[in-house]
Amino acid sequence: MTATQENRTASSIGQRVLNVDWQAKTSGAALYTGDIDLPGMLHARILRSPHPHATIRSINVNAAMAVPGVVAIVTGSELPDRTYIHHGGPMSDRRVLAQGTVRFVGEEIAGIAAETAAAAALALRRIDVKYKSLRAATTLQEALEPNAPQIHAKGNVSAHRVFHWGAADPLRPREVSVKGQYRFGRQTHATMETSSIVARWMPEAQILEIWTNTQAPFIVRKEIAHVLDLDLESIVIHEIAVGGGFGAKSKICEYEAIAAALSIKSGRPVKLVLTREEEFTCTKSRHSFTIDLETFATRDGLLSARSAQLLVDNGAYNHSGPSVMANGMQVIASLLRVPDVELDARLVYTNKQPGGQFRGYGGPQVAFAVESQTDEIAAALGMDPVDFRILNANRAGDVTPVGWQIHSARLVECLERARDEIGWAEKKKWAGSGRGVGFAAAIHVSGANIYEGANKSGAAIDITGDGVIRIRFGGADAGTWQKTLLTQFAAEELAVDSTRITVLTMESHQTPHELGAWSSRGTYMSGHAVGTVARKAAQKLRELGAVTLGVDVNDTVLRDGYVASGGQEVSFARIVELHCSGLLTLEEQIELPIEAVNRETGVANISGAYAFAVQAVEVEVDRETGKVKVIDAVSVHDSGIAINPIGMESQIVGGMAMGIGLALGEELLFEGGQSMTRSYISYPLPRADDLPPIRSILIEEVDPNGPYGAKGVGEIVLVPTGAAVANAIAHATGVRLYELPATPDRVLAALHGGTVKRGVSLWRRPSRWWIEGMRRAYPLGAHWLLHRIGRRFARPVVPLALTAIERPTSVEETAAALTRSGSRAIGGGTDFMPARRQGVATASTLVDLTVVPGLSTIATDGSGLLLGAAARLDDVSTYVAGTPFEVIQDAIDQIANPQIRSMATVGGNLCQLNRCWFLRNDFMCYKRGGASCPCYAVTGDHRFYHAVVDGHRCQSVTPSDLSTILTAMNAEVNVMSVNGAHTIPMTGLYKGPGETVLASGEFIQSILIPHATAGSGIAYAKLNRSSGDFAMVSAAASLTYGVDGVISRARVVLGAVAPTPWVVADAEEILVGSRSEDSIAQAARSWVHHAHPLAGNEWKVDAATSLLERVLRTAAERAKESGA
Amino acid sequence: MTSLYEEVTQVPDGVPTRRVTITVNGQKRTVDVEPRLLLAHLIRQGLKLTGTHTGCDTTNCGACTVLFDGRPIKSCTMLAVQADGHKVETVEGMGTASELHPIQEGFKEEHGLQCGFCTPGMMLAAKALLEKNPNPTEDEVRWALSGNLCRCTGYQNIVKAVLWAADKMRDQQA
Repeated sequence: MTATQENRTASSIGQRVLNVDWQAKTSGAALYTGDIDLPGMLHARILRSPHPHATIRSINVNAAMAVPGVVAIVTGSELPDRTYIHHGGPMSDRRVLAQGTVRFVGEEIAGIAAETAAAAALALRRIDVKYKSLRAATTLQEALEPNAPQIHAKGNVSAHRVFHWGAADPLRPREVSVKGQYRFGRQTHATMETSSIVARWMPEAQILEIWTNTQAPFIVRKEIAHVLDLDLESIVIHEIAVGGGFGAKSKICEYEAIAAALSIKSGRPVKLVLTREEEFTCTKSRHSFTIDLETFATRDGLLSARSAQLLVDNGAYNHSGPSVMANGMQVIASLLRVPDVELDARLVYTNKQPGGQFRGYGGPQVAFAVESQTDEIAAALGMDPVDFRILNANRAGDVTPVGWQIHSARLVECLERARDEIGWAEKKKWAGSGRGVGFAAAIHVSGANIYEGANKSGAAIDITGDGVIRIRFGGADAGTWQKTLLTQFAAEELAVDSTRITVLTMESHQTPHELGAWSSRGTYMSGHAVGTVARKAAQKLRELGAVTLGVDVNDTVLRDGYVASGGQEVSFARIVELHCSGLLTLEEQIELPIEAVNRETGVANISGAYAFAVQAVEVEVDRETGKVKVIDAVSVHDSGIAINPIGMESQIVGGMAMGIGLALGEELLFEGGQSMTRSYISYPLPRADDLPPIRSILIEEVDPNGPYGAKGVGEIVLVPTGAAVANAIAHATGVRLYELPATPDRVLAALHGGTVKRGVSLWRRPSRWWIEGMRRAYPLGAHWLLHRIGRRFARPVVPLALTAIERPTSVEETAAALTRSGSRAIGGGTDFMPARRQGVATASTLVDLTVVPGLSTIATDGSGLLLGAAARLDDVSTYVAGTPFEVIQDAIDQIANPQIRSMATVGGNLCQLNRCWFLRNDFMCYKRGGASCPCYAVTGDHRFYHAVVDGHRCQSVTPSDLSTILTAMNAEVNVMSVNGAHTIPMTGLYKGPGETVLASGEFIQSILIPHATAGSGIAYAKLNRSSGDFAMVSAAASLTYGVDGVISRARVVLGAVAPTPWVVADAEEILVGSRSEDSIAQAARSWVHHAHPLAGNEWKVDAATSLLERVLRTAAERAKESGA
Repeated sequence: MTSLYEEVTQVPDGVPTRRVTITVNGQKRTVDVEPRLLLAHLIRQGLKLTGTHTGCDTTNCGACTVLFDGRPIKSCTMLAVQADGHKVETVEGMGTASELHPIQEGFKEEHGLQCGFCTPGMMLAAKALLEKNPNPTEDEVRWALSGNLCRCTGYQNIVKAVLWAADKMRDQQA
């Protein structure tokens, strides 16, 4: 305890202080990089490689420069011949812009700055790059083959580390063992603000000013100075709000130097804001790990040893790969007490976007393996998984085999608390019930000395004669509460209320050197730095105050901005005015005695303190559809003393939510090196209603090395989550998942003991032979031929400039407008606008149906419910509530989300294009480019959104949920055109995936849904990956009972299983004339012989069968109620 | 990678702009816009109301949520000309520093913000909910916010903030 703490009046440490930015961020006033608008500012875009691996033969920018508005283009050959520093030495392998070779789809080739973003984007297409395509290795397997293409001159194994840490303990013989292989997918940060920079080069002053949403301004400055050969002092980084980090921005990113180079070349300010697609496909992601792990223990349950082989998919460049892999290895050696650890780890280049720093830094991947296997070995020993962990828990005083010195550890208490909070005593007996509980533990550094100077930090304090107390700190607050914590550290030392303290961050020329917020070092390092400088300021104020008051310094105390002694006091401001000419400034650079990482032996105590956490989750596993839902979550932490419990709890809850995302669905996916997860719609980041309430619990204990007893918390929050979910699934079902995320297909496969295979027979179905032949030909060369040669003849949509929006005043005017070339009807635009951006739809004139009188009708009359084509989904949902048509609400309320439902229309929903993630993500596929192009779903990842029945050249499905329910309700579609009106049944609306039979110039005017007859019941259900996502399967049924209790009519429809809404005629046939209880199960399965799934989506047949059975049962119940 | 970019067409010379009048935060604003201009871009660049953020431009993230005649919409998906004659409310219209809207107060009191990028969109989605349903359950709040992504908070404090505001607004009504 410091002298001032003894004298203080109230402590700021541990207070639930408001976030210092609350006002700026709730008023909209907070300024983010994208909000900056400087005079003369240009807008930049980046040209990126379309090839996973190719040689660049030439780049010609002449045509691009000729585009009106283009001011500057920069290519690799103009830049200094340098690579980013990253972790230094021979591992540094990435240039600002590709030179000679491109190694992943999305690699930066050129930057363009233009007067408008549109001009820059247009000019990108005019840069003529000649490539020679090279054979690519886009998967670990391809990269490790003996004759694999070499991604870098040194080969495809970037780093190979073999370590034996610790030693066999004779008292812990290897009596029991478990081994397994664990695979962990790629997650992306998905910060809400995309990567953004404004760079302003001032030629006269030779100064480069930068505003960028970084976590580490000083690293950005160092790297840009290096790669552009600038003087460090000539680069000025400014403070700006940062919309999320999570490691994405903890080092230099790959857009910052490009904007800087463009600004230097043009002499004008340049703004570069990455699109969300670029954010998903071109920024760094979490590395995917494949871990072969074996754990050994004694019969008494003491861990003896671990042995592991790691394969880390590095992507095309190193970045932090070696360091992420090293941390993963150290965690294997440190999580729980294990005396003897053997490791063999390889970091493998692949032709994919590189991995990089991401919250957890290898921890989540290895914790998934280690903590899954902890449960497995406990089970093998017949021990309770929590008891086993308690027995083997790390304890204070331990030194792990890799040299981590643990000074404080409340892991045992965390385990006990998690067990109690989740109610394990009661829930343990749920094993195998479909509901289950899982636990996992974690250890993590609090600022690791894995980067040059990472054990140093700096801070400055100004106390002015007019009463300002300001902390200047070079790090950034990306939403981590960093700034608020800085005020609390200073307030603690100065004994003032923390709200009196202001903070200046990120300003490179006004703050002492500081490496930023990453490696869970924010609290740890800033606490030491700010604490030290504020403590010195406090001492100085007391000394000067003592002089002012004429007393001994030892008789003074600090109190609310005053130095007080006996009955007299003098304010800080007055002291500073009297003794320091109005400004007391102190600046402090601290260096903590933390060992640097040892790249030779791997053994070092690389952090001042180690945090611990235990998470417990309760899951519900739908054994029939494979869907897993987390219904309770507890996260218990030993992160030392919480400086601000609100901040810590926020980090914990948000982190665990991110962990649940990676456990259940988030994964970047590629086909031939190209991503099909380029938007949130194909990347199921958890939404508010996907998550349970998460309970955060702090077990506080002073860490002797931590500032004010604190340890880090930012990363450990998601290290155990994947393992905890996997353990809970194992408890719920009795089967274990060895691969995350735990998607429904994988869960069903695990339950089936392997891939779901129903043994579909085709020999009596000649209509399917040619499709089957085609599918078989794909891997034998057809795919290659279509991909490499056929795509050259592609005829994709030619984007038209959107030049007019027509707002007709009548249906007739609408019909006339739609006859004109380039025109297209638009409802809410929620499909068309993204589709236009994705290059799959275009129009020069949009005809706005929502303003046409009569087209938004929602009305009921004798013939049924009439829905105008432009009726908004949420209006329909509201209208049908409490009416006989209420079942439509079940469907609508699961479509997308409130904003989309308040814009989207009935007609638009029915007519939306298919949602295939190849089509929508820039693959030049059959649907996009025509018959000469391949369907990428045949050989690519088709687990979720492709057909299992009737697939043809295009394997995708009609995505409209309304089409499923309206088909079941026997709706009719009123179609209009200049040639007049006609009506078609819903069953006749579609001819293919997202393709209607409407001819050019025709549009849907309305939908008529007939009244259901008495004794009818209708039901609907949908299986999707996350809230608001498109259906993987939907099912709807309408059943009518006759007076004799026998089903007289049945309409049964499956959505998202076939190219069009699929009427299950076999089921209808079985149901009609039967009593529901006899026939439903049989009817639900009746269609399976029509299935012709792809290799990886056969699980959908099972899921659809189960969903259909539920829907039939609900419909039957409702029919009986309605008849009763 | 060609279709990554928001606009790849060149508008021919002579395409007329459209004059639109939109009531933004209670004030009538008349502007001439290109037909292809998105409402989000009009709000941010034309009207300089940068509290409305854009995070994906593809209808997914909800950062650009504004109220359109009181309904929550994603302004990255609507063309500015479609807003002609309508009312748009952005975060700047919610409250003032001296007189916070109860939802802003809720976000303050329940710590419903971290990096702050999603905050304006969240608050407007919440406002639309509370106008329709003054007494929502936690599940209803989560459902109503399902169009707005947040990567920092795990939504929990945001949900609490909305429930806090609902309480306060009901008290004010009472």
